[in-house]
Amino acid sequence: MENMIDVEKLTKVYGRPGTGTLAVDEVSFQVERGEIFGFLGPNGAGKTTTQRMLTTLLEPTSGRIVVAGHDLRDDAYPVKRQMGLVPEESNVYTELTSWDNLMFTARLYRVPTEEREARARDLLETFGLWEKRDAKTENYSKGMRRRLSIAMAIIHQPSLLYLDEPTPGLDAQSARAIQDLIRELNAQGTTIFLTTHQIEEANQLCDRVAIINHGKIATVDTPERLRQTIQRVQSVEVALEPDGATHGPALEALPGVTTGVKMGDKWRLYTEDPSALLPLIMDYAASQNLRVVSLNTLAPSLEDVFLEITGGQVGTIKHDNPEDKPRGRKPGGRS
Amino acid sequence: MNNTFIQRVKDEIAQAWTVAVKDVRVYYLRPGMIMFGFLMPFFMFFSFSVRRELGAAEGVARLLALSVFFTAGAAGPFIIPTERRIGTYDRLLAAPMSLLTLLLGKTAVGAFFAIAVSGVALAAGVLFFGTSIAQPDLLIAGILLGAFAFSSLGLVFGSIPTTNPGDVQMPSTLLRWGLLFISGVFIPLSEMAPVARFLAYLSPLTYAQDLMNHAVLGAGLIDARIDLAVLLVSGVLLLWPSIRLHQRARALGR
Ligand SMILES: Nc1ncnc2c1ncn2[C@@H]1O[C@H](COP(=O)(O)OP(=O)(O)OP(=O)(O)O)[C@@H](O)[C@H]1O
Ligand SMILES: [Mg+2]
Repeated sequence: MENMIDVEKLTKVYGRPGTGTLAVDEVSFQVERGEIFGFLGPNGAGKTTTQRMLTTLLEPTSGRIVVAGHDLRDDAYPVKRQMGLVPEESNVYTELTSWDNLMFTARLYRVPTEEREARARDLLETFGLWEKRDAKTENYSKGMRRRLSIAMAIIHQPSLLYLDEPTPGLDAQSARAIQDLIRELNAQGTTIFLTTHQIEEANQLCDRVAIINHGKIATVDTPERLRQTIQRVQSVEVALEPDGATHGPALEALPGVTTGVKMGDKWRLYTEDPSALLPLIMDYAASQNLRVVSLNTLAPSLEDVFLEITGGQVGTIKHDNPEDKPRGRKPGGRS
Repeated sequence: MNNTFIQRVKDEIAQAWTVAVKDVRVYYLRPGMIMFGFLMPFFMFFSFSVRRELGAAEGVARLLALSVFFTAGAAGPFIIPTERRIGTYDRLLAAPMSLLTLLLGKTAVGAFFAIAVSGVALAAGVLFFGTSIAQPDLLIAGILLGAFAFSSLGLVFGSIPTTNPGDVQMPSTLLRWGLLFISGVFIPLSEMAPVARFLAYLSPLTYAQDLMNHAVLGAGLIDARIDLAVLLVSGVLLLWPSIRLHQRARALGR
């Protein structure tokens, strides 16, 4: 059977080619019918840009998108009929009630009159919004708006649903409810395209995950296989005193450490098994009469996963958080 | 014509209607709409008409033309940038309908607004000044077509890729003021110098005013059929720049 989505050398340059921002760079991938496809990448990777092109909201600079056999460039109508879209911001009409928001969307998608109300009621009950159906959504919490936004995206029962980061900013319970819902929709046959920057979310939900950074896809793989990569880029960060910065080579030589990167006055040691490394560091500090000022295990970052896959050097990407920023350019080297 | 084609046309009409009704509910009572749409025509009317000797019927014809002109064009420049900012515009753009359908829905929003406000102006004229309407059929046709043409003009500004209504509301108001002063609203066409009259013929508002003169006073300077045709054709032609600007927005990603 044909794929749900076929993307070929998709490129987007914002602004003029040459001087503009290259947000998506010749990306190619396929989404199979019936799967949950994860689109995983850090901030600014090009996820939203890609999704906006797939949903016809943004014109590609070049490349081809075929959805369910229809080329988006000249045959978007049948695609639009069967796709649902949950954007990054929950863009509901705050001046309307949730009931009216749903009715509006149902009319826009030409849901038959006799089914509109039943479906809206069903969705509002499922999403825990039934009691509040007559309240204007401006007074809704973030989670409620997000749920309504999803309800609006599925009232026409799309066979392909796009979700752009549906869970950030929600409490754990709301996030889990949305993840359960995504699973359930998928079980009913909806193909899901899920954009996220949370590794765990992608691993738990998706059949396959694409990892994107700087507008390029590093790999498309199963969560199982990605987990092995992710394991390799776990790390421990340690600050020792006095002159902790000089102990890098010795720390790097500890068993299980794959790479060490100097981060200001700290050392970040990459390892597959942080829990085994912690006592070794403590022993080393004791033997050298050093004080352990801080010692943290760090979850793998997407940048590092991306670098590990592409054969780059972990720990060398600039982080948004300045405290996180590696100073040493060459890992293990002194700078 | 096959059935799927007819069904598609029915769908698109229903979708345009859905968009228009939603906008009416969401946006009509916003300060931006009331300021630029409702108050402006009355303000213009009183500031330029009070001092002059003006017959009640002339006054009503002028007020009608002004309310259609200012009100119809107020919706587009306010609603579309606002929707782009909140993100709700994406819902409309991603929906299974043609861009033309969306634009016609948006044109209808401004047109309804204009029809409502000119209805208020008309009621005021008839109730307070006892004005009689010479040709009611021309009045209705004129208000409808004028509302369409000027809403379509406003939509051009609304289509400029921006998320801030302020960016386009001022330019669109300036343009409308410019049109106002070259058109035969405050000075009758017959009293204009030839150059001024030539300019006036370039403005659709001239034809709307002339139509209102036909409708209320029973006499205009231009054939009423030409007035109607010009309004209809400008309304249709002005959809074109809006389409191009929407395509531009889609390439820019705004
Ligand atoms: N409309 C735009 N005009 C210019 N540049 C843009 C525009 N939208 C996005 N960009 C740039 O394109 C790049 C990719 O952005 P995009 O929003 O696709 O990333 P993302 O993966 O969705 O990130 P996030 O996790 O922050 O949502 C970024 O460098 C961003 O600054
Ligand atoms: Mg994004």
